Amino acid sequence: ARPGSVLHPPGPVLHPPGPVLHPPGQALLCTPPTRPGPALYSTHQARPCSVLHPPGQALLCTPPTRPDLVLHLYSTHQARPCTPPALPSQDIRNTVGNIPMEWYQDYPHIGYNLDGKKIFKPIRNKDELDEFLDKMENPDYWRTVHDKTTASDIRLSDEQVDLVHRLQKGQFGDVNFNEYEPSVDFFTNEVMIHPVTNRPQDKRSFIPSLIEKEKVSKLVHAIKMGWIKPRKPKETTPQYYDLWAKEDPNAILGRHKMHVPAPKMRLPGHEESYNPPPEYLLTEEERMAWEQQDAEDRKLPFLPQKHSCLRAVPAFSRFIHERFERCLDLYLCPRQRKMRVNVNPEDLIPKLPKPKDLQPFPTTMSLVYIGHSSLVRSISASPTGQWLVSGSDDCTVRFWEVNTGRCMKTLEVGGAVKSVAWNPNPAVCLVAVCFESTVLLLNPGLGDRLVVSSTDQLITSYEPPEEDKEQAVTWALSEGPEHDNGHRLTLTHPKAVKQVVWHGKGDYLASVMPDNSSNLQVLIHQVSKRRTQNPFRKNKGLVQCVSFHPLRPYFFVATQRYVRVYNLIKQELTKKLMTNCKWISSMAIHPGGDNLICGSYDCRLAWFDLDLSTKPYKMLRHHKKALRGVAYHKHYPLFASGADDGSVIICHGMVYNDLLQNPLIVPVKVLKGHQITHDLGVLDVTFHPTQPWVFSSGADATIRLFT
Amino acid sequence: MSQLQTRFFTDNKKYSVDDVPFSIPAASEVQELSNVINKLLEAKNGSHSQIEFDFLVRGQFLRTSLSNHMEAEGISTEDVVEIEYVERFTAPQPEECMMHDDWISSVEADSEWILTGSYDKTARIWSLEGKAVMTVAGHTDVVKDVAWVRRDGLTSLLLTASLDQTILLWEWNSERNKLKARHCCRGHAGSVDTIATDPTRTKVTGEEEEVVVEEPPSRPRKKQKTEQLGLTRTPLMTLSGHNEAVSSVLWLDSEEICSASWDHTIRLWDAETGSVKTTLTGSKVFNHISYSPLCRRLASGSTDRHVRLWDPRSKDGSLVLLSLTSHSGWVTAVKWAPSHEHQLVSGSLDNLVKLWDTRSCKTPLYDVSAHEDKVLCVDWTDSRLMLSGGADNKLYTYRYTACETDAGA
Repeated sequence: ARPGSVLHPPGPVLHPPGPVLHPPGQALLCTPPTRPGPALYSTHQARPCSVLHPPGQALLCTPPTRPDLVLHLYSTHQARPCTPPALPSQDIRNTVGNIPMEWYQDYPHIGYNLDGKKIFKPIRNKDELDEFLDKMENPDYWRTVHDKTTASDIRLSDEQVDLVHRLQKGQFGDVNFNEYEPSVDFFTNEVMIHPVTNRPQDKRSFIPSLIEKEKVSKLVHAIKMGWIKPRKPKETTPQYYDLWAKEDPNAILGRHKMHVPAPKMRLPGHEESYNPPPEYLLTEEERMAWEQQDAEDRKLPFLPQKHSCLRAVPAFSRFIHERFERCLDLYLCPRQRKMRVNVNPEDLIPKLPKPKDLQPFPTTMSLVYIGHSSLVRSISASPTGQWLVSGSDDCTVRFWEVNTGRCMKTLEVGGAVKSVAWNPNPAVCLVAVCFESTVLLLNPGLGDRLVVSSTDQLITSYEPPEEDKEQAVTWALSEGPEHDNGHRLTLTHPKAVKQVVWHGKGDYLASVMPDNSSNLQVLIHQVSKRRTQNPFRKNKGLVQCVSFHPLRPYFFVATQRYVRVYNLIKQELTKKLMTNCKWISSMAIHPGGDNLICGSYDCRLAWFDLDLSTKPYKMLRHHKKALRGVAYHKHYPLFASGADDGSVIICHGMVYNDLLQNPLIVPVKVLKGHQITHDLGVLDVTFHPTQPWVFSSGADATIRLFT
Repeated sequence: MSQLQTRFFTDNKKYSVDDVPFSIPAASEVQELSNVINKLLEAKNGSHSQIEFDFLVRGQFLRTSLSNHMEAEGISTEDVVEIEYVERFTAPQPEECMMHDDWISSVEADSEWILTGSYDKTARIWSLEGKAVMTVAGHTDVVKDVAWVRRDGLTSLLLTASLDQTILLWEWNSERNKLKARHCCRGHAGSVDTIATDPTRTKVTGEEEEVVVEEPPSRPRKKQKTEQLGLTRTPLMTLSGHNEAVSSVLWLDSEEICSASWDHTIRLWDAETGSVKTTLTGSKVFNHISYSPLCRRLASGSTDRHVRLWDPRSKDGSLVLLSLTSHSGWVTAVKWAPSHEHQLVSGSLDNLVKLWDTRSCKTPLYDVSAHEDKVLCVDWTDSRLMLSGGADNKLYTYRYTACETDAGA
């Protein structure tokens, strides 16, 4: 395509009506709507151009004879329009505009004239030599201008040269224009209130305004009525107020509520005297010591010196320094009163009664029951408190007379006894013993003969029901020599039994078979009907121990970390106690039923108030090693815990009937006596049912009674 | 203060010295004072042989130096100190050791025979010389207590109480050495732990260690034996009131019964009506009580280390007159001396038998450490014999010499 063909169509019909930007972006092609023909404006000069040459007028004021000069003048930023002189030669005008002429280098023509005809390049272009020769020979060379657009040389006329000179000098192009001719301002430069215009006056300026009249009458009416008041004269007196008017100017304390007076200087003493008594003067050693001390450690900040008279006292060399320190003291003195509450730390300790006032509780070891040959795992006292049963790892169960320490009976069973439990019902004489996977119900034959025989009758009077239900354990009645030994019923469990515990009424018996993978961990047996049931369908963790609520139909199951309380009648979980222990070892229920203690292998004993929360009410960490057994006393406000450190700790645990009062827990006594054997100390503790005595069984194969 | 003005006196005319004040070193102890008396007696009576004396200052035995004692008792050292001296009670001499097959639960001796009950379900009769005369076998369980009822010439009546809830009355002819069970007394619902015969030797009281079933108050029972015949006897009267097991029972006189129980009380009962007359409340379980008609006081051994003396006649009840403290275990048995108003003997679980004088409550007169195990029973006889039995299956007898100055005998 030819360069500029779009912008530069040969015919006027094809010119677009609006302005078109020239490709280099520097010139604007404007086509006046009335007269087709290109007009070129510099985009830099767009505003003055457009002002001075509004489209359609610029070309009008440009003489058609010299369009080239117009273009030239415009490009030299001469905004002022001028009338070019008449040219002698014919009018050759290139219409390509201000474009680089190189674009036409390869063409025979150089542009288009007004008629759209090609302007052809001259046949021969001058070369440098011709140029030089021309310069040397042509006397008019200086006034010759090469017109690139037409590729022709133009010889400027004298008038044109003059014009150029004038313009170069900064003069107006028109010779006749006198820029200094006196001018008469038609309008004065002063601001007039009523500017003179020659506009004829409106008619309404002669007619009184109705609207104004209405408005004025309204205002007059309002003034008459007193609705509008004359403006008050502005007060010129300045408004001040006293910032400290309310303040007592004398009270410095009023401004500083917590005023702390500046520290007072110490009054000078004898040391400061110019002639101090000799005892205030430092000896040689003291002086040495004084010099070696740090400045902060010195008792005196200066050395007392003796002068014969006041005149002989030299100037104080550290005066400025000392004043500075004083100012620093005043400045850095903390002027803030610290509100310190004086609290006696002993007042913060809760008032606990003295153990002496909490008697009776066991204090001394009274009896040692010797007979077992291996560690005694479990002990249980008869409901009357006359007998004690103990189960040991030497596969025997022994019955002891409490007040003499006499072993009344020894029964061999077929395995290490894990747990024994005397039936709490005084009308029944039965002892549950568990070893391996067997729970044995023994009738020791101690105590009232009537009770013993009625117990035997109770067991033999059982009649099997018509339909035989499949049970988890097998009940077997002992006969023959075993019966003579006291064996009554044998309950063979599927797994090893760890614990047996009686219900308070003495008919139900729970046995624990710890097993992590099955729901068959706890079984509840009913002795009178020889029934067994598994109360739990789900395995909630390794069961450690279980217990019956002493009064209500609740059942406590302690797993490794939690104690769950089940309602046996509704068959639902009532509570879940978080023990914060790693591994629960033992559990005991308060005879009132609202409190519970848990011993754990991580040396802690947790007391729960079931009415209060599921978190421990108190954690006791008196033991050094793992707790093995905990017990409550039935009547006295006592509980005991036995641990592997060989000690039994007795605590006073008073539970009040008043619901508002929290239980009072006071450790009262540490009972020692058991020897630690194979890192095991006390394995079980139990209280005497009526007296404030505690039994403890240990790994040293003894049972001890503390009273 | 180095010298004290003292005046010595005694009830025993044989050893009386002149009633003049002496100046005695304040730091002097019993031995030095005894030497002083001996010197005085020698000066008075050339044929006097050395005798050990004990000294009483205002009714209290002197056990430390004279100045310490007076300071402790708060006696003024300004005045003349009145010092009573008595012939020292000589140490009991071990006499016999009678071996049993099992623990000895009880012992009762009279002037001729010794009766012991044992855990091997038998009672035995021994001569004072330690010879086993008779074995009383009939109980099916441990014999807990034994008692002589009376003796008519060669025929004696004796009682044995046992854990099998029965009391058996036996008739024993010492000449033919024949034993006959006369009666079986039933009625207890627990083991019969203690029996006592009344001073007229016609009634017997047996007490049980109760096994309470439902009702809280347990029932101590009294059995009274009349002269009627019949194999089985039932209680004449049941004394109910104790809450727990009754551990010891005795007759104060023919009208009054005294019982001690595990419920921390000693009760005095009227034997005719069966009602409680007085209740003495202690703080510990009572193991055993004993009554001395000479000084009219009760001594109790309880499950702490003290022997306590009570006045059963006192109206305000629970006043402990004196505590004798030296044992280190439970006191299982106490017994007043039959012929001395101040002396009693106590046995304890610390294997010791202690002989006490109530005038010296801090230290006993003598510790008898013969037993190797728990002492369960002690007794005295009029015939200068003291007995103790225990869990080491041995019954020891000791001979003591009663002082002639003890006028109360």
